[in-house]
Amino acid sequence: MLLTRLASSTVRRLFIMASKPNPHLLHQGAALQIPPKKARTMSRTSESSSSSSSSFKEAFGNYADYLNNLNEKRERVVKASRDITMNSKKVIFQVHRISKYNRDEVLDKAEKDLAAVTKQYMLKLVKELQGTDFWKLRRAYSPGVQEYVEAATFCKFCRTGTLLHLDEINATLLPLSEPSVEPLQINVLDYLLGLADLTGELMRLAIGRISDGELEYAKKICQFVRDIYRELTLIVPYIDDGSDMKIKIDTMLQSVVKIENGI
Amino acid sequence: MGFESAINEAVEGCFASLTLSFLETLTQTQTPTSLPFPTNSLSFPPPPIFHPLSSFIVTEKYQVAHSPQLSPCQAVLILPLPSLDKQFEEFCSKLEESGSLREKIRAVVLEIESTTRLMHSGLLLVHQSRPVPEVLEKAKAQIGVLQGFYNRLAEITRECPGQYYRYHGDWRSETQTVVSLLTFMHWLETGNLLMHSEAEEKLGLNSLEFGLDIEDYLIGVCFMSNEMPRYVVNQVTNGDYDCPRKVLKFLTDLHAAFRMLNLRNDFLRKKFDGMKYDLRRVEEVYYDVKIRGLTGTGDSNDANQGVVEGEEVYYDVKILG
Repeated sequence: MLLTRLASSTVRRLFIMASKPNPHLLHQGAALQIPPKKARTMSRTSESSSSSSSSFKEAFGNYADYLNNLNEKRERVVKASRDITMNSKKVIFQVHRISKYNRDEVLDKAEKDLAAVTKQYMLKLVKELQGTDFWKLRRAYSPGVQEYVEAATFCKFCRTGTLLHLDEINATLLPLSEPSVEPLQINVLDYLLGLADLTGELMRLAIGRISDGELEYAKKICQFVRDIYRELTLIVPYIDDGSDMKIKIDTMLQSVVKIENGI
Repeated sequence: MGFESAINEAVEGCFASLTLSFLETLTQTQTPTSLPFPTNSLSFPPPPIFHPLSSFIVTEKYQVAHSPQLSPCQAVLILPLPSLDKQFEEFCSKLEESGSLREKIRAVVLEIESTTRLMHSGLLLVHQSRPVPEVLEKAKAQIGVLQGFYNRLAEITRECPGQYYRYHGDWRSETQTVVSLLTFMHWLETGNLLMHSEAEEKLGLNSLEFGLDIEDYLIGVCFMSNEMPRYVVNQVTNGDYDCPRKVLKFLTDLHAAFRMLNLRNDFLRKKFDGMKYDLRRVEEVYYDVKIRGLTGTGDSNDANQGVVEGEEVYYDVKILG
């Protein structure tokens, strides 16, 4: 594009101006062979500015270190988050195997698996996130944490029929951190997003229970989901980075309707 | 069994917020609506969550007897529900707080934005080759104003320490604009690059409390380099033939410094790639000027020739620009 622009401007000049001394033709020809870039190293400096480029060098060296550390940490967090997601999903699948007869053993295994996720994978996250990282890297670890919340609340509901609270979940995470260090605490937004996903799983569970004939249980699930939905509709307007949440609320309503229709 | 333990848990959880006298009224009142705990209007009286098979629940701490006035379901469900509501009420209030904080931040950021617009339009005069010191004077005056705004942001976020990055998105692009303006001004004045720490100082920020994010700084510098080609072309049009050499040198060094960074494929990377094109355009102008012998050290054998060449350059530049 550059070459055609130069060419066209040259053509225009040739057309308008009468006699062309050589430099212009030279320009047209030479423009097509722009002198090759010399090696851009910091050592190629002219007299007066060697000091400025060395201070460039030092400062940018620092910036490079900062960015490298940040990006590496971000990658580690993303990896930990993916591990958490995968293993939490396994817990959820495990819980879905519930039926009238094997309830306790299924739940026992699920809870054990969940504890393993906590000890192994959440621990990794705890180790990486310090101080400002909680908010800076939130987009990296949020999906994993949401999945974890989903799994934990799912287990709790199937076990006791109640909702696992945020402070309860955070209490289980406290022992993972060193006492001197700021502990990893799941924040409200991730908790609520995980809760929204939970309703989807509960819908699946309810449909499963209905087809298994456990209508009563399905009704309980329906009620529980309705309550969660009700609470969340009140909160959603306050969620400022709520683009995810709005979609999830809609999905949630669909889940509720599906359960109700099933019943 | 599960229900009883659930009730126990819920009751224990509610113990702090409920008093025994309330429980006594529970067995005496006719309608549940006179109960003194807070619920939102939608949820009370809610349909029962649990269908207890027995008509009354006995727990270790409380005996909620089957009273003729209250259905057992209603008696049971009152207890677990507040804990569900309470958690969400807390969430509501926390989110409300952060929402109002965000509104305050946005108000300050809007003011920052209008100040930068003012500064930018003032700085554009350098393209019309007004004398640099005069143009800088006005823009510099605004730096103090900006300092004030950033101080306000620091104050607002002081209320929630450690959450700089929670709200960072709200001031990110405006800050990048600010950095680009400051670095441009600094370059016009001194021919040097304003460093991150210097930029922080100019805005009255400190990295311990409310600092200048390094990525914002780097992106701001890239925006500044976008101004360079245009500036060079206009300077040459106005007869400053030494400008391209200076700008070329500066931009070359800057680009080389940026090459030291290991960038991944994000916005900063895109901006850095843009810098490459700025550099190339400045190289071309420098080349044009050089081969016409217009640079200071070039041949000055023919003054007339110089004038003619000058007109041609002007014409060239007009076409190129």
